[in-house]
Amino acid sequence: MHDIIRLVWFDLKHELRPPVWIIMEWITFTIQLGIYGALISQLVTGISNYQQFYAIGFIVMMTFGIGSHTGRHFVEHAHEGRLPYLLSLPISRSKLFLSMALQGGIELALMISVPLAITLALIGNFTFLSVVGAIITLFVLGFGVAGLMLGLSFIAFKSADIYTAITVGLSSIIIRFSTVLYPLMFLPPSYAPVALLSPLTYGADLVRLLLGFDPSILLDPIYAVAVLTALAVSTLGLGMLLLQRLVEGVKSA
Amino acid sequence: MYAVETQNLIKRYGKTHALKGLDFTVNPKEIMVLLGPNGSGKTTLLLILATILKPTSGTAKVMGLDVAKQPTKIRQILGISFQEARGFWRHKPAEILHFHAAICGVPKSERGAKIEEIMKGLELWEARNKLFMHLSGGQTKRLEVSKLLIQRPRFAIFDEPSSQVDLRGKRKIWGEIHKLRDEGSTILVATNEVREAEYLADKVTVLDQGKSVVCDTVRNLKDKIAGGDVVELLLEPGPNNTEELREELSMIEGTVNLVVAGENQYRAHVSMAEAWVPKMTSLCYERKARLLSVRVTEPSLDDVFLHFTGKVLETTTNA
Repeated sequence: MHDIIRLVWFDLKHELRPPVWIIMEWITFTIQLGIYGALISQLVTGISNYQQFYAIGFIVMMTFGIGSHTGRHFVEHAHEGRLPYLLSLPISRSKLFLSMALQGGIELALMISVPLAITLALIGNFTFLSVVGAIITLFVLGFGVAGLMLGLSFIAFKSADIYTAITVGLSSIIIRFSTVLYPLMFLPPSYAPVALLSPLTYGADLVRLLLGFDPSILLDPIYAVAVLTALAVSTLGLGMLLLQRLVEGVKSA
Repeated sequence: MYAVETQNLIKRYGKTHALKGLDFTVNPKEIMVLLGPNGSGKTTLLLILATILKPTSGTAKVMGLDVAKQPTKIRQILGISFQEARGFWRHKPAEILHFHAAICGVPKSERGAKIEEIMKGLELWEARNKLFMHLSGGQTKRLEVSKLLIQRPRFAIFDEPSSQVDLRGKRKIWGEIHKLRDEGSTILVATNEVREAEYLADKVTVLDQGKSVVCDTVRNLKDKIAGGDVVELLLEPGPNNTEELREELSMIEGTVNLVVAGENQYRAHVSMAEAWVPKMTSLCYERKARLLSVRVTEPSLDDVFLHFTGKVLETTTNA
């Protein structure tokens, strides 16, 4: 466990000294919610508490951002030449992967802590269990997205530019075609089926349900739990397997 | 038991064959130098032994442990200094070494003193708190080597340990590698610098196109070259210094090749200089051709490589 903590801290301390990017994320969230969220909620009449709806959507977008950053981090390690060093250290591969996942998890926790606290204060009506459930949902979603980016990283070994183009393009589609900013029932018929393919739809709707939103405008929670769990397990598992085979050169065997 | 042993080791990257059935051994507590040009498979072999790459087929063992089956155990006894140190842009040399020492199990009580000693020895101490991205090429290389010198593993791998380092720095690094060997570590060095190979090697393995061409001590490798000794002659200009004399010199027993190197100058490749030179001086005396200078040199590992592979090592930029 000591080795994992050392690995995580070796990188993380530079992110936190000073924690500029985290504070910037908090400020962005506060401004976005306080100005844009407040104003837009005046225009949206179909949902009674759109500012709260928007706040959760924004946190889910932040979760997506940090999840994809964690996945891409591994690729950056490879391209910067740092991955061989990490692979040569006297620790098992599982510990190495665990340390990367843990670092992503800590960054996610730090980044969403203040936005989540503000959102909970705004909502007011929540229980301890519902908050825990929402946090778990966000973490499962984050791991699923990180796994998805890891899974796509095999492209990066061919071309980093194509990988960047694909992940940026995919990210914008995954966010826009989801229920992060608008409920599924409000989406035009041509958009709704596509939104069901976005993992953010399930993450956003499940968090909203747990924090007391009207279930009639949200997806079935059992369905959402199943999809998010399957996403996290399959993409992380497949991504690691694929990456390990690529990194250690078994692919050509 | 060999410290390192590979049998029919093959590594392919797609259609490229980096290693083509390599059989290779290293004895415990010796410095084995892998000599070969870029693309000969040196780095691939090092990465396989360090369990960073998996072989396509064949076996590779380090201290009796199989790289494919017991990689974590191998990583606990080895250390590798990479060709290029990269990827620590926001870190400082001292904290990189502290992290490396800690994760490699150097006791906390010894870390500080060891790091200071090695950093001072390799003239890195002044740069200890600079950001990695502000270090020069030579400093990053010395930092990379420092990791192993602090770790002091049973099996140490150095990939071009002194490239980009000035001559003074090279000698310090080479001295430290010798010291590591003297303490009982087995050392594998990959290089395409002839001087580095000659200075460090207990044994040299010449690699070319993913195969081991020859493996022996430096002395034996040089002795294996027929015409390996080179004798350079400078004669006084005069009527006796003629084409006939040149022909007679080339007929001396043991002459492999004799070429005109300049005005009144000859370069002879001979099997044994100590036998050839007396015969040459007698002949010159008889022909009344006055010798101004005689210079005997031995072949370099460059010549050894040329002899065994028919190619020239790419050393001009590094040497």
